[in-house]
Amino acid sequence: MNGAQKRLDKLFTFNIPILIMLMFTVFPLYWTINTAFKHEGDILKRPLQYVPASPTIENFVSAWTNVGFATYFKNSLIVGICTVVIVIILSILSGYALARYRFKGKRAFLLMLLCTQFIPRSMLIIPLFIVFKHLGLISHPLSLILTYAAVEIPFTTVLMNGFISNVPRELEEAAMIDGCNRMQALRYVIFPLLVPGIVATSVFTFIYTWNEFLLALMLTNQQGRFTLPVGLSYMMGEFNINYGALAAGSVIALIPAVILFSYAQKHLVNGLGGAVKG
Amino acid sequence: MYKKLLKTVAATSMAASLLLAGCSKDTKDANAGAKEKKDDPNEKVTLTFWDENAGPQRTPIWEELIKRFHDKNPNITVEYVGLPKDSAKQKYDAAIAANDTPDVASVQTSWLPEFSLREALLPLDSYFDKWEDKEKINKGSLDFNKKIVADNKLYGIPYTQNLDILWVRPDWFKEANVQIPENWDDFFGAVEKLADKDKNRYGYTIRGGAGGSFQLQRMMYAYSGINDYIKDGKSTINDPKHAEFLKKYFALYKKFTPQSDITNDYKAMIAGFDTGAVAMVQHNIGSFGEHSKALQPDQFQAIPLPKTADGKYVAEGGNTIGISVFKGTKHPDAAWKLASFLNSKDSQSYWNQQVGQIPTNSEVLGEDWIKESPHIQTAFKVYDDKDTVLYQPPFYLPEYRSILDTVVDPGTQAVLSGKMTIEEFLNEWAQAMEKAQAQYDEHFKK
Repeated sequence: MNGAQKRLDKLFTFNIPILIMLMFTVFPLYWTINTAFKHEGDILKRPLQYVPASPTIENFVSAWTNVGFATYFKNSLIVGICTVVIVIILSILSGYALARYRFKGKRAFLLMLLCTQFIPRSMLIIPLFIVFKHLGLISHPLSLILTYAAVEIPFTTVLMNGFISNVPRELEEAAMIDGCNRMQALRYVIFPLLVPGIVATSVFTFIYTWNEFLLALMLTNQQGRFTLPVGLSYMMGEFNINYGALAAGSVIALIPAVILFSYAQKHLVNGLGGAVKG
Repeated sequence: MYKKLLKTVAATSMAASLLLAGCSKDTKDANAGAKEKKDDPNEKVTLTFWDENAGPQRTPIWEELIKRFHDKNPNITVEYVGLPKDSAKQKYDAAIAANDTPDVASVQTSWLPEFSLREALLPLDSYFDKWEDKEKINKGSLDFNKKIVADNKLYGIPYTQNLDILWVRPDWFKEANVQIPENWDDFFGAVEKLADKDKNRYGYTIRGGAGGSFQLQRMMYAYSGINDYIKDGKSTINDPKHAEFLKKYFALYKKFTPQSDITNDYKAMIAGFDTGAVAMVQHNIGSFGEHSKALQPDQFQAIPLPKTADGKYVAEGGNTIGISVFKGTKHPDAAWKLASFLNSKDSQSYWNQQVGQIPTNSEVLGEDWIKESPHIQTAFKVYDDKDTVLYQPPFYLPEYRSILDTVVDPGTQAVLSGKMTIEEFLNEWAQAMEKAQAQYDEHFKK
């Protein structure tokens, strides 16, 4: 009786809520994949096809070659990877300073870092455009890399501060007694312990750069320099939507994010747990 | 510590002022550029062209036209940049603010007043006057473009025009033995008769979500027949006739239209019609392509908006998109070459035939594809009727568009959800327009 009651409880408090949540998250994904493999004529046809009657990869070919997804994909990858590298290096250093040094105004500085997250991105467009124009970087991937890094560093610094605070100070001190200087202690002792935190931060940063649309559109004036989210918007005209290529493009755009998440899943949970504890 | 801080602040402010000084110098130079330079006709030139409504349908059309242009003018290369419609205006704004504009662009007529006030566009009058095809472009739309800008110069040459109409299901009308509506009584009667909740059919669908304001005001003026939007500083938006119309119109909501209308944007509204859920939808002739993909030819038909009580059609003036040249261009002559090429008979014919809209070049109007397109014939019927009233929205007000987006769209939802009365809604709308007009008059000392 007790066991049956427990199973019933689990059913209502766990299984059914999870199932409902899964329906909301998995169904759009399934429908996107389903649409990506349909012929154009079948997409809006009634009755709806829950499995493509004659699957095709023509939408993928069209998105990749005709619409220029190959270029957009490459651009997104360059911007994403470079941003992650810059963000990780700088946020480890600034996070370390916040975790290990005592200085006046530290709390105010942390608060200020968090406050930068409240500034609406659209307010930054014109000033950034003017700055990058004078630097000759409009339509250059560096304009996006620098902007994304600047936008992400405050938040990732706060995250890193949490991760580093969790590493016992004594480990570093022991390394220094053995002859390491501060940078060496950071490199050989702290860094390996930070891997879960670095993975979590990298994933966050990469996903942000991968999905960002507004700045990517605003700071680029050349068709060949646009990133994936801008490319996806081309599938939607005012009076015309290319659903097949849009779905195929979305699936292509999803692939790196899915690979990244599946690889980083374990670290992500550990990393975030660490940050929360800190 | 404090000394260090002081040094940092001083250094930062110096850097900032240097940067600002740099900005101002560059601005002057760039503005001077367009006027002084004269193109060498054989010089290798690269122009940038921005499309304000890129997408799977229009981008290939522009690319084809650009290819044709390059074949004719091998020394001029045109770089196409397509902008998604929803973010295009923001992109132009940023580009104008930073003085990094394209050479030539597709610009909506309603943007011309603001862009010309910001001195972003090159007046085309002198080029246009020397152009051999100048007589062929629709004079009414050219005059309209001049009228709406403060200095009455020509900043954009319209290459396409549009008209708001009703898309209806002729097969349902036939089935229910109901006349296709010609006046407003017919319209309201038909909405009621064609709604059949048992069959999951609605008589009409209201665009209550994003962009609904544009359609709403076209319906209001089509009902009232008033041709002044603002007269002597007073807006006609809250005219009793408009209140009378909205009472009838919004009363359709939920009774004969879908409940989801309150958040209906373009795509949801058209999907309602194309999936066979509603009998009538108000939009323009530009959605022809969508309907023809989803429905059989005998399942959709374009009809004009109903006539006023005294039997007149009403259309909104300036429902056009034009080609503009930006002042910052270093090659004004080549830019004009492209602008005039895009407005030539062949280009306009190709563009408008592919998109399904009305060209402004009179030479195209006699072509077979126009004669064989019933929805374009419908638009002609309205534009050609000598009694048609053309009302003119105040595009010249810089706040015009933002009032529609921030006052009218949310106001429509407030009325539909019963949080605001129709009179309150119309008064708020009229006051916002009157305030903007007063500021405009004050600025230009009218």
